[in-house]
Amino acid sequence: MPARLDTLWYKNAVIYQVHVRAFYDSNGDGIGDFAGLAQKLDYLQELGVDAIWLMPFFPSPLRDDGYDISDYTSVHPNYGTLEDFKKFLEAAHERQIKVIIEMVLNHTSDQHPWFQESRSSRENPRRDWYVWSDTDTWYKGARIIFLDTELSNWAWDPVSKSYYWHRFFSHQPDLNYDNPAVREQMWTLMKFWLELGIDAFRLDAVPYLVEREGTNCENLPETHAIIKELRQKLDHEFPGRMLLAEANQWPADLRPYFGNEDEFHMAFHFPLMPRMFMGVKLEDRKPITEILQQTPEIPPSCQWGLFLRNHDELTLEMVTDIERDYMYDSYARSKAMRLNLGIRRRLAPLLDNDRRRIELMNGMLMSLPGTPVLYYGDEIGMGDNVNLGDRNGVRTPMQWNGGWNGGFSVADPESLYTSLLLNPVYGYQAVNVLSQKRSEHSLLSWMQQIIRVRRSTPIFGSGLIEFLYPANHRVLAYVRQLGDETILVVNNLSSSAQAVELDLRRYKGKIPIEMFGRNLFPRVAEAPYLLTMGPYQFYWFRLRRI
Amino acid sequence: MVEESVLTDDLVRQLINVGEVDILVGLPTHNNARSVEPVVHAIQAGLLQGFPRERVVIVNADGGSRDGTPDLVTGASIDDLRRSYKGYALRTLHSISTRYANNPSARVGLRTILAAAELLRAKACAVVSPESTGMEPDWIPRLLRPVYSENFDLVTPIYRRHKFEGLLVSNLVYPMTRALYGQRIREPYASEFAFSARLGSHFLAHDPGNYDSHGSGAELELAMSAITGGYRTYQSFLGTKSQGEREGGDLVPAMRRTVGVLFSSLEANFAAWSSHAGSQPVPTLGSESQVTLESIRVNRKRLKQMFTAGVAELEPVFRSILSSTTLAELQRIATLGDDDFHYPAELWVRTVYEFAASYAKSVMSRDHIIQGLAPLYRGRIFTFLEENRSSSAEEVEKNIESLCLEFERLKPYLLEVWNTKK
Amino acid sequence: MRELIWRELTQAGEEIIREFAHLLPRLIEMLIITLVGWVIAIALKWILRSVLRLAKFDQLSENSGASQLLNKAALPSSTELLSRFIFWVAWLGFILLGVSVLGIGGLQAHISRFFLFLPRVFLALFIIFFGLLAASFFSRATLLAAVNSNLPSPRLLSTSIRTLLIIFVVSMAFEELGLAEQTVLLAFGIAFGAAMLSLAIAFGMGGRDLARQFLEKRLVREVKSEKEDEPSPL
Repeated sequence: MPARLDTLWYKNAVIYQVHVRAFYDSNGDGIGDFAGLAQKLDYLQELGVDAIWLMPFFPSPLRDDGYDISDYTSVHPNYGTLEDFKKFLEAAHERQIKVIIEMVLNHTSDQHPWFQESRSSRENPRRDWYVWSDTDTWYKGARIIFLDTELSNWAWDPVSKSYYWHRFFSHQPDLNYDNPAVREQMWTLMKFWLELGIDAFRLDAVPYLVEREGTNCENLPETHAIIKELRQKLDHEFPGRMLLAEANQWPADLRPYFGNEDEFHMAFHFPLMPRMFMGVKLEDRKPITEILQQTPEIPPSCQWGLFLRNHDELTLEMVTDIERDYMYDSYARSKAMRLNLGIRRRLAPLLDNDRRRIELMNGMLMSLPGTPVLYYGDEIGMGDNVNLGDRNGVRTPMQWNGGWNGGFSVADPESLYTSLLLNPVYGYQAVNVLSQKRSEHSLLSWMQQIIRVRRSTPIFGSGLIEFLYPANHRVLAYVRQLGDETILVVNNLSSSAQAVELDLRRYKGKIPIEMFGRNLFPRVAEAPYLLTMGPYQFYWFRLRRI
Repeated sequence: MVEESVLTDDLVRQLINVGEVDILVGLPTHNNARSVEPVVHAIQAGLLQGFPRERVVIVNADGGSRDGTPDLVTGASIDDLRRSYKGYALRTLHSISTRYANNPSARVGLRTILAAAELLRAKACAVVSPESTGMEPDWIPRLLRPVYSENFDLVTPIYRRHKFEGLLVSNLVYPMTRALYGQRIREPYASEFAFSARLGSHFLAHDPGNYDSHGSGAELELAMSAITGGYRTYQSFLGTKSQGEREGGDLVPAMRRTVGVLFSSLEANFAAWSSHAGSQPVPTLGSESQVTLESIRVNRKRLKQMFTAGVAELEPVFRSILSSTTLAELQRIATLGDDDFHYPAELWVRTVYEFAASYAKSVMSRDHIIQGLAPLYRGRIFTFLEENRSSSAEEVEKNIESLCLEFERLKPYLLEVWNTKK
Repeated sequence: MRELIWRELTQAGEEIIREFAHLLPRLIEMLIITLVGWVIAIALKWILRSVLRLAKFDQLSENSGASQLLNKAALPSSTELLSRFIFWVAWLGFILLGVSVLGIGGLQAHISRFFLFLPRVFLALFIIFFGLLAASFFSRATLLAAVNSNLPSPRLLSTSIRTLLIIFVVSMAFEELGLAEQTVLLAFGIAFGAAMLSLAIAFGMGGRDLARQFLEKRLVREVKSEKEDEPSPL
């Protein structure tokens, strides 16, 4: 089946998130580039990923890691040329790997020519492409997102002597979506990339597109209308392409972004992630089952994006104060690990480099309903460097081998865009792709295996989920079902061995087959099904009637 | 041994599922369906407020309720709470229930809770009465926090009470406990209290089990073993105590489970109480006592009349319990009219001490000795009510304090009667 | 004549000496039996005492309330009492055995009758002892309960109960001994009937109000207004 015609490809995909800058440097300037990324596609194919999600690579002053775009239709010279991108895209498609790129709709860089024009005078035709005001008193209901750096959502522009609106950094003025010309222009930009062949957009900061007085300026109906308009055009002109929302909201507030299958195809499930970490720390399934109970049903063609870690801090916006304090105390005792309302650390250090917990967390990521998104480096258990500012500590170069610059670049170590990890535990000499490829039991090999098992059935991506509630609350158990296929997942969230009795009467007579080793387990009977589980152990069983 | 006899298989299975906990709240019940729900909700809210991160469990030890009390306990959902209290639980909040017997027994109920606490390795354990409908959520942290965070072993409550409530405690149990063991614990017999794992295990292992045949008063025994065992005690002010049915009950059963236990403790702990004099204050959270003064109806005449009748009718009984001087003195005041009647503190203390000594010597059935004290107690109460009829809260406190000092002052007399006519 | 007397006397003397000589070994036998019996009785006592101590019999009797009764009767602890009792029974048995060895005519029958009668005596003593104790216990219990529930004339009530119990116990003991069975039974019947009749009359005439109160309390379950007026003890 030609890939293009599978319009629901994202439902059963495994997505790999990567910075071009951080993956592989092909020209020795110390910064990763598209030619380098193309060279490493074989690695990604071997790992088993279906799609690559690229962080912003557009020309930018790079004051917010590329989310401050100054030109939407070309590639930042550091990462190569538009030609390099096209070659990479072609190479990826040859390997059946889709490419997802970022599209920052909400704002541009203050270096973008549009903003330069807009601020130049109050009479400029592009003046109302941005949100200007003579006072900073409007929209007081909107919260400030970057609490650590910004004091207000308004910034003073000395050039045109007025205030402009920005929901993020002050160097990222918000575009004015009440202006039809802006909406038209943004679709034109998206079309540019769609015509090049990219498969999906991750739309950044969508809840904030439109501002209205007297609201918190998030999730407004006007914002939804704009998305519906984009989706309609996309489906009409580029069927099979996908829109992925970044909206850090509660599940119930996220639900409207799926619309009636007429807005986003996918959205990230932000509140689940901190609760998975919480569940493992508390040794209690309650946080996880509770948030998934509160998660609304979504239309069949829609999908949740699940992740353990990403390029941002582990965000704790979507938890209660009690939960946030608990997360800080258990995962970020040092203040340096905290940023805004979150924890800026990678997966392995968060889990004390405990292989059992890393596997358990990945096991849940791969078996809960949604499309898993892996963050580059986490498949080998890379560490972080909290001494680097902002979120740069989790954006250090990929560690390919134990040699010069960890195999990332042939440049002088001093000229790398950021320093490599040198830590004896997490540094490139200890943690790298080459050494892990050599061992069947490395984390990398294990990740390849679990991705392979996950991809062996569409059930994880598309099946229904039903929680079992065994009396032992340290065990998280659920059944995934699609058609007549059934998979039982049992996770021990506890650091000690546990006995659990599962009520599997509905599956009486079926034989559980463990999906990794394909061993048979005793047949399910009327009596409670007893399983004993080691610390942080998990099982995936295919329940088969034989 | 203890676990084998106390814990049913079903309870063990429930305990396995709960696993290790930090905090356990025990709720002994018997036909408490009318009052238990608000209590469970207050416990849950208190746990959420005070211990959001800790592993907690509520253990209901039921003595054969026929009104569905256990179902109400285990069925009380936290979701109902979210509306009323802004609590949020990080963890699963377990409520388990077990029927230890078909008949209620305070002792077996408490032992079940203790055994569960030991098996679950709870660091702190609280017991709450299902009749405390006036309970506020913050009672739970007030009781448990000193045990959980400050290494105290026993936390007893202080209630806001009417000045004429709990008179057996203020006129006998408190002053005598204080005089004997040197610790000023206001409510040694409490329906709400908390204790540490080590005290719980000690009590479970050393509980002689033969203090009294009625199985009640186990709460006081726990307090006694904490005091005599040198454990760290603490008091927390809780709030207004609502009078449950158990407290409003008859005088004699109340005396059995307080005075009886107190008297019984003397023999085993002779070395502990005979060696020191005076008393020390116990560290206390919140006010030391709060007394309310609104008027209540008391049938004083009846108290006096029962005292007089008791002294006259029980003379043969008193003759083998009391010394001849004390008995003569009692007979003298029994002849006084209502206005002149006065049962002085010193005579009251002597009476109590002689009863305690006779109790130890088993001059007759011990239960009869306790019953014999009841009419005399009524006489003493008559005097207490008269003395404090129009007293302010401070004056009531002062009077109780002076009674305590009298108990302490006459302690040598207890030793004297203890050692003679053996 | 003198000679006759003398001869008779010597004959009698010889007879006595012969009898004595005949008896002496038996006497020695008896003494030996008594002595051995004493040793065995002491051993029995010692064994029983150890066994009872091991079995914590004192604690058991303490729990059952028997110790308190013994205390009241100024008797030693139940272990001591039981072991002493066994000692004496055993020794007495041996002494009687020894006496029977003497072969004194008629004594044998008496002794065997005594042995047959012994258990009944013990049983009767037992009944009286515990019956009296029970009578004093229950009468005191009645007295205290009556005083504490403010019933009128508690003394009368407790004395009647004590009297009834004593009559009952004594008649049981006599019945056990098989003495004057008819008389005792009749006497008991008369006494018991009289007591009951007087109680019934007293209750009916003098205690009408009390009876009504009692019945109301039982059947109507009226709110205990009196109790509300008493300050709560706890």
